[in-house]
Amino acid sequence: MLEIRDLRKSYGKLVALDGVDLTVSRGETVVIMGPSGCGKSTLIRCVNRLTEPDSGTILVKGQDIMALDSGELQEFRRNVGFVFQQFNLIGRLTVLENVMFHLVLGGMDLEEARSRGRVVLDKVGLKGAEQRRPHELSGGQQQRVGIARALVTNPEIMLWDEPTASLDPILVSEVLEVMEELVRTTATTMLIVTHEVSFALRVAERIVFMDKGQVVEEGVPKEIFADPQSEIARLYKRLLVT
Amino acid sequence: MLVFFRDGFYKDLIILLVLTVIIGAVFAQGVAWAIDTYFGDTLDGMIGEYGEYDVILHIREEAKETALRELERIGEQSFPGYKLNQTLTIAGQANFFFGFPETHRTKEVLEGITSYFGAVPGINGYTLMVEPSVLIRGVHPAVREDLMEQIEALSGVRFVVKDGVNLVVVLAEEDGSADITRKVEDILQKYQILELRFPMGFEVDTQEVGEQALAILHSHSSPGQSEYKNVTSAQYGEDLDAFLKALVEMRDFLGSYASQVRLVPDPQVNLGVGELIILEDDLLIEVTGIYGDHVEGMIVEGSPVQSMDTIVQAGYRYLGPGERGEFVADVEIENERYRLAYAVDESLRLLAELEELSVQASTAVNNAEGVLTTFQEALMQLEVLQVQMRQLNEGITNGDAKSSGEQFLVTLLLNGLFQTLAQGVIHTGEESLDSLQNLDIEEMRESLAGISAQISNVQEIDVAAIMEQIGFVRDTLPNLNDAEIGQSIRLINTYLGGQVIPGERVQLLIEGQHVDEKALESLFREELENPYMHTYSTSVGMVTPDARGEVFRILKEVRSIVAGMLSIIFTMIVLVLDHATVFSTLKFLRANDRPNKRRWARLFNPLLVLGGVLGSLILTSVYYLSRSQIPFVSLPFVVFLGFALGGLIVVFAERFSPVHSMELMAGQSLGLSNVQIMREIVIPPSRPGLLNLLNRFRQQF
Repeated sequence: MLEIRDLRKSYGKLVALDGVDLTVSRGETVVIMGPSGCGKSTLIRCVNRLTEPDSGTILVKGQDIMALDSGELQEFRRNVGFVFQQFNLIGRLTVLENVMFHLVLGGMDLEEARSRGRVVLDKVGLKGAEQRRPHELSGGQQQRVGIARALVTNPEIMLWDEPTASLDPILVSEVLEVMEELVRTTATTMLIVTHEVSFALRVAERIVFMDKGQVVEEGVPKEIFADPQSEIARLYKRLLVT
Repeated sequence: MLVFFRDGFYKDLIILLVLTVIIGAVFAQGVAWAIDTYFGDTLDGMIGEYGEYDVILHIREEAKETALRELERIGEQSFPGYKLNQTLTIAGQANFFFGFPETHRTKEVLEGITSYFGAVPGINGYTLMVEPSVLIRGVHPAVREDLMEQIEALSGVRFVVKDGVNLVVVLAEEDGSADITRKVEDILQKYQILELRFPMGFEVDTQEVGEQALAILHSHSSPGQSEYKNVTSAQYGEDLDAFLKALVEMRDFLGSYASQVRLVPDPQVNLGVGELIILEDDLLIEVTGIYGDHVEGMIVEGSPVQSMDTIVQAGYRYLGPGERGEFVADVEIENERYRLAYAVDESLRLLAELEELSVQASTAVNNAEGVLTTFQEALMQLEVLQVQMRQLNEGITNGDAKSSGEQFLVTLLLNGLFQTLAQGVIHTGEESLDSLQNLDIEEMRESLAGISAQISNVQEIDVAAIMEQIGFVRDTLPNLNDAEIGQSIRLINTYLGGQVIPGERVQLLIEGQHVDEKALESLFREELENPYMHTYSTSVGMVTPDARGEVFRILKEVRSIVAGMLSIIFTMIVLVLDHATVFSTLKFLRANDRPNKRRWARLFNPLLVLGGVLGSLILTSVYYLSRSQIPFVSLPFVVFLGFALGGLIVVFAERFSPVHSMELMAGQSLGLSNVQIMREIVIPPSRPGLLNLLNRFRQQF
């Protein structure tokens, strides 16, 4: 489904990605973990070119993402859901509008878009909050709106960029529950960046550890945590134990 | 970057640009027009409607009450139906606007203003403001009458009024103003004043030279081509004459105060006035005059050795700093300034010695008088003794001689005594004594008294005061070196040479085909044998707008300046409110672009160019369409200013109009096109401007 080869990205002298190779199969849930600044978010943003890589190849269903022109890229992005760490909701729109406005702009009938919007909002537990504005919601609710917005197009790939990082611990669980539910109930390919070790252990089919812009270890969660090879994996194992 | 516009946003931007320019031009023009109208109405309020008043009478402020009563009396008595209005008082001068009734608006009345209003208390003069009229300024007196005659013959002209050196052409109708102005200009164009100016120091008989110049003109022109007339008028005022005279004196003084430079040119070398010669000790000499073999110069750089003697050095042609050419002359320099200073110092020494000398001479005369008195007394005693001796001698000779031995003894004693007393002075006996007696002791005494009196006179002279004054003169001598003197003389010469202050001048009136004054200059120089004269050409008068026209011209300028300033302000506002948002977005998107590997492309910022072009386009269009005109600001400068403003907006775009980058990124991740991102995400929360307003018609959410 997704194949990344020798992906490189630098911000000036800072090397964010240093030759990353990664393959994700259709319907697979892959969790990327690693210390802050190791390049996780950059990697996930490169997948839909929110961040332009310096070099490397990204293939989605065999299609070279790097070769897409502006229109093709927009089309590609409509099939890729992206959940941001900071929610990135449109402040002036209502919850429902946030979820469905891009469907309308993409050409869908307004009523159909509303209907689909309500369905996904119900799915993430926000039924009844359709007419509220983002600033009237809690962080967890806002993130669930963000998830609904990503889900509403039935994307083939979902990219999660630390969706719980901006939430306080009480609100984290409500988002993780939604995510777990989605993983269980949909066949969408998921690439999740998170620090939630227990969540990763529960939902990930494969965990990828990154450090200093490189993939240092990857494998099935139970195997990795049973016998971590890298220092980073060992550190995360200790977190799991505590 | 072009991708950003390609998917549709360019249409929004074009509409925005067109509307911006139209609104900007209308706004700038409208505000300027409003100001123009306001000031125009205010002006009408102050100086009346067009043609309402004919003359402004300037009255001293303290007399304005009395003057008002007198003006009302004159109006009622001489001009029934007159109009009078007191307006601004400026710098202690009140201004009364007086309008004559139509029947009295005649040439005679307007030329006789002084006879009507000359006795008004506190009057300081008047200014004609008859409307409609055309004003001709600075009319040459030689053509005034001719001009009046010709202009009055024009259709649409009521009459022409003399107003000092100006002519006021009073028109029948306002509409004919432009046409009459053109015709008057055509008449003026027929005349030309050719002026021959001579530098100071060339005093010429202007009438005689004028006639000579006329003859030259006649001899070098085709018959009937033009008419020439000598119209030389009076020279300058007394003040200027005195000033010029002082300058000449100053130049002569400096010339004699400077070191005198004479040159003995090499026979093979031709020297010219103004040529520079450098000496062995780097003194720079300028040749100031050539009189046959006698060549004079002036030091313009450096100072000569201080010496009483004449300094002789070899002079070389000066080719530039540090460069000298061939030998051209032996140069003799006499340092007059040093000689003068030396003479003054010696005078001071002499006076000091003189004072001492008079004291000593007085003592000597007193001593001489004492000696003379002693000598006179001694002479009297000798005389008595001589008589006694004679008597004794006679007694011895004529009496009974007791013995020849006694006689001999007495004679011997007397002779010895005589010798002792007279000590050789009277050793010759009676003859010598007689000669002593013949000395005129009294005359000698008188002579001594005369000398004494003269010495007393000398002593009475206040030598200290003289010395103090000579010292003062020495101290007040200009502290200038030769180079400074030379440069000062050069500067004075430029003044006297006519470059700053003209010297004598001859004026010729040319009617018909104009002459080329510069072409004639060399001819006049040659024929009049004066290589320093210059020729100038002037018109016989200049058509200018009337007072109100002048004020309205200024108002028009103000309107143009206001429109220009508003154009700039409007452009800045538009750039900040509308375009900063666009550039802010573009900068965000560009930051996420793949870095260009080509070095030149990394240095080149297309956003700056785009901003500059946009700024130029808006400002130049608004400026041009609003008919703006700021003095000293040319259209290319406006283009540049617009470019700079646009560039500035690009640099500070995020500060002027920050975009919500999170929302923008969300839009990208949802697969929205750039135009959708702009319309739905970026512009709606942006600053309220035209872009925001126009966007409301396009945004869906």
